[in-house]
Amino acid sequence: MTVSTSGLTSGGLTSGVSAPSGGLRRFGSARWRKRNLTFDKITFFLVFLIIPVAFYIAFVVSPFVQAAYFSLTDWTGFTPAMNFIGLSNYVKLFNDSTFLQAVANNVLMAVVVPIVTLGLAMFFATLVTVGGSTRGNVKGLRNSSFYRVISFFPYVIPAIVIGLIWSQIYDPSAGLLNGILTRLGLDQFASFAWLGDPRTARWAVMFVIIWGLVGFYMVLFIAAIKGVPAEVFEAARIDGAGRFRTSISITIPLIRENVQTAFIYIGILALDAFVYMAALEPGGGPNNTTLVMAQELFNTAFTKGQFGYACAMGVVLAVITLAYAGLVFAVNRIFGGKSEVGE
Amino acid sequence: MDINATRLGRRDFLRGSLAAAALAATGSLAACATSGTGTTSQSSAPAGQVSDTNPFGVQSGSTVDAVIFKGGYGIDYAEFAGKQVEAKQQGVTVKVTPTTKVAQTLQPRFVAGNPPDVIDNSGAGLIGINTIRDQLAELNDVIEAKNYEGTVIKDTLYEGVTNPGTFDGKFIVLNYALTVYAIWYSASLFEQNGWTVPKTYDEMLSLGEKAKAKGKYLLGWGKEAATYYQTMAISSAIKEGGDEVRLALENLKPDCWSLPPVQDVFNGLKKIIDAGYIKPGGSGTVFTAAQAQWSDAEQFVLYPSGGWIENEMKDQTKSGFKMTGAPEPTVTSNSKLPWEALHSTAGEGYIVPSQGKNVAGGKEFLRAMLSKDAAVNFAKTKLSSTIVKGTVPPDGFGSTALQSQVKMLEAAGSNIFSWNFVDLYGMNTDQLVVWNSFLSGDSDVAKLTKGLQDITDKVAKDDSIKKVQVS
Repeated sequence: MTVSTSGLTSGGLTSGVSAPSGGLRRFGSARWRKRNLTFDKITFFLVFLIIPVAFYIAFVVSPFVQAAYFSLTDWTGFTPAMNFIGLSNYVKLFNDSTFLQAVANNVLMAVVVPIVTLGLAMFFATLVTVGGSTRGNVKGLRNSSFYRVISFFPYVIPAIVIGLIWSQIYDPSAGLLNGILTRLGLDQFASFAWLGDPRTARWAVMFVIIWGLVGFYMVLFIAAIKGVPAEVFEAARIDGAGRFRTSISITIPLIRENVQTAFIYIGILALDAFVYMAALEPGGGPNNTTLVMAQELFNTAFTKGQFGYACAMGVVLAVITLAYAGLVFAVNRIFGGKSEVGE
Repeated sequence: MDINATRLGRRDFLRGSLAAAALAATGSLAACATSGTGTTSQSSAPAGQVSDTNPFGVQSGSTVDAVIFKGGYGIDYAEFAGKQVEAKQQGVTVKVTPTTKVAQTLQPRFVAGNPPDVIDNSGAGLIGINTIRDQLAELNDVIEAKNYEGTVIKDTLYEGVTNPGTFDGKFIVLNYALTVYAIWYSASLFEQNGWTVPKTYDEMLSLGEKAKAKGKYLLGWGKEAATYYQTMAISSAIKEGGDEVRLALENLKPDCWSLPPVQDVFNGLKKIIDAGYIKPGGSGTVFTAAQAQWSDAEQFVLYPSGGWIENEMKDQTKSGFKMTGAPEPTVTSNSKLPWEALHSTAGEGYIVPSQGKNVAGGKEFLRAMLSKDAAVNFAKTKLSSTIVKGTVPPDGFGSTALQSQVKMLEAAGSNIFSWNFVDLYGMNTDQLVVWNSFLSGDSDVAKLTKGLQDITDKVAKDDSIKKVQVS
C-alpha cells in the first residue's frame, strides 16, 4: 500500500507521514527539501493549512485583536475617530455595579446550569441505555427509544422560540403555569410574576435553559455510553454493582472526555445566554437579577453608544469564558483525568 | 515512550482546539470589531440648480437613499412621500429601505463614512442622538423652505415641535409624528359607571376605590413599559413645580429626584400601589399583554401612554371601547402649570447625516413629508397627527383617540412641554428595573428615589458622555 502510493505521488506525502521519527531528523537536510516540496505537498499545505489559518486569522483572530484595541479607546461606534484612553474603560468596568452584577449572574448560571443539565442528562441517558431490567442482556428501560426521541424535541426548537413560549407560560394572569397552580388550589400564585419577582426570576430563567438543553446532552451521553462495550457493564453486574454504583464507577469514568466537552459547551452557553434572555427578560429582570454580560454589552454599545466600553466588557467576557474552560480541564485532571480509561 | 509522547501531543492539540472553540464561541467579543474604517468624505455642495421649486438644489438623476424604521407606522407613508419627491423633482429616484434595528444596521455605514441620505431614527434600537449629533446636517433650511403648496413650512407646524430636536442650539432632528402623552381610558366604560377623569392623585385614589367596587383595578403595567409611569410622574411633577423641575432633571442636577413636586407625585403613586389598586404581576407580563388587559379585558381602567397606543392595540381593543385621552394628573389643584398643560413631543426622529452622498435629496424628502399630501396621508392611514397643523378633520377620521388628542392640544395652547434626558443618555433600560420593583410594591419612595438618582448621577459623573445643556 505504502509502496504503491509513494510510487504515484513520487514519495512526497506518504514518506513524510509514514516515518515521523525519521522525518524530523531529515527536515533540515537539502535532500528533504528537494524531495518533499513537490506540487502535491505544496497544495496539501495550502488547502489544509494555509487557507484555514488565513481564514482563522482574518475572521477570528483579527476581530479579537481589533476588539481588544477598541476596548482601550473611547470609540462611540458611529465615527471613524477614536481616542486612545488606556485602561480607563477597565477601571470604570470594575466600578460599575451593574456590570459586576451581570458577571455574578453569569457565574451563578455557569455553575448551576451545567451541573443540573448534565446531571439530569446523565441520569436519563443511563436509564435509557443500561438502566433497564437486571435480567438478560444489559439494556435500557422499555420503550427507551421513544423517550429518547421525545426528550430531544426541545432542542429542535430554536432558543428564541423556547424563550417566547415560556414567557407566555410564565405570564402572571393568563399563563399556563399559574393557571395550573391556581386550579390546584394554590391561590397565592394568582398573578404571581415568575419572571418579575426577584426571588424567582433567575431560577425560572435557568429552568427554561435547562429544559431546552437536557435532551441534547442526553443524546450525546447515550451515544457515548453505547460506545462502551456491554461486557464491561455485564461484568460489573455480575460483581453485584447496582445501577447507581455502575453509573458512578463505570459509566462516568468511561465517558469522561464526553462529559468534559459537554461541560465546556454548556458553560459557554450559560456565560452567554443572550438569546434566552432577549426573549424572557429583555430588561435584565427584576433588580437586574437576570442581567447577563452579553445583554449589558449590547445595551452599552447600541443604546448608549459606548462601543469602546462595550468592547472592554467583551474582553472580560472572553477572559471569563477561557477561565471557565481552563477550570473544567483542571477539575477533570484533578479527579483522575490522567488515568485515561476511555481513550 | 515515544508513542505515548505523541499521543499526549495529540490530546494537547485537541484541548487547544477546544479552547479555541471556546474563544470562538464568545462571539460577543468579535461582534465589537468593525468591518474596517473608511475615509471621511465631506459631502459636496448642492450640485443641482437652486430654485423656489428646488430649494436645496437636488441634482436631477440622483438617488435619495432613505432608511426608514419599520415599526408601528410601517413604511408605506415614507414610500408615499418618496413618490411625491419623484413627481416633483424630475429624474430623482427615492429608494426606501425598511429596517427594524436602526443602530445595528447603520452603525457600519456611519463608521465607513457612507451613511444614508435620510434616516427615520426610531424604535427600541435607535441610534442615541448623542453619539452622532456632530455628524448630522442642520435642518433649519428645511423648515424655512416652502412646501409643495407654496407656504413656508415653519408656519404650518405646531408650536414648539422643533424643540425636542434641537441640541445645544442646533436643530438636527425633525420629529415627524406628533405624540401626545396622556392617561387613556374607555369613555364608554366611564360613562356607564358615572366616573370622571381624575385630575389629581387624590382623585385617582378615590377612583381606584370605585373601580375596585366594580371588580376592576385602577392601573396596570407591563415589564418593558414600567417607565410609562415615570413619564407620567415627570409630567405631573413638571406641571406641579414648573420649569425648574424640568431643568433640574434635564441637566442631571444632584438630588433632582428629591425635589418636593417629584416626591409628592411618587408619594401619590405609592398610596395607590399600597391600596392595591394596581393590577399585580406587571413585572412579569409582556407589555402588549398588559395593555390588552386594559383595552380588551377591561381589567384595569386607566393607562398612561403616548398617542400611539390606539394604533398599537388596534387589533386588541374591545368594540365600543371609545379610547380617549386626558391630561396627566397634577398633585394639587393650584399647580404652577394648569392641569390642561400637556406633555407633547414628536416621535419618529428624521435625521440627515451631513456625510450622506445626497444631503439635498435627504432634505427634499423631508420637504415632501411636510407638505400637505404626505402629512394628510399619514394622519389618515396611521390615525395619528404629524407635526403639520390642520391635517386632522374634527371627526378624527372616526377615531375618538385622535379627536381627543387634537382637543387636548387646543386646550393646552402654549403650555406644552417635553424632555429629552431619558432617551438622550439611554437611561430607560436601567430605570425600568427600578420602576418595575416600585410598581410591584417591592420598594418604597425612598428606594425609588435613590435608584433613579444613582442612574442620573452615574451619567452626570461620567466624563466620557457628552452632556447637553438645557435652558
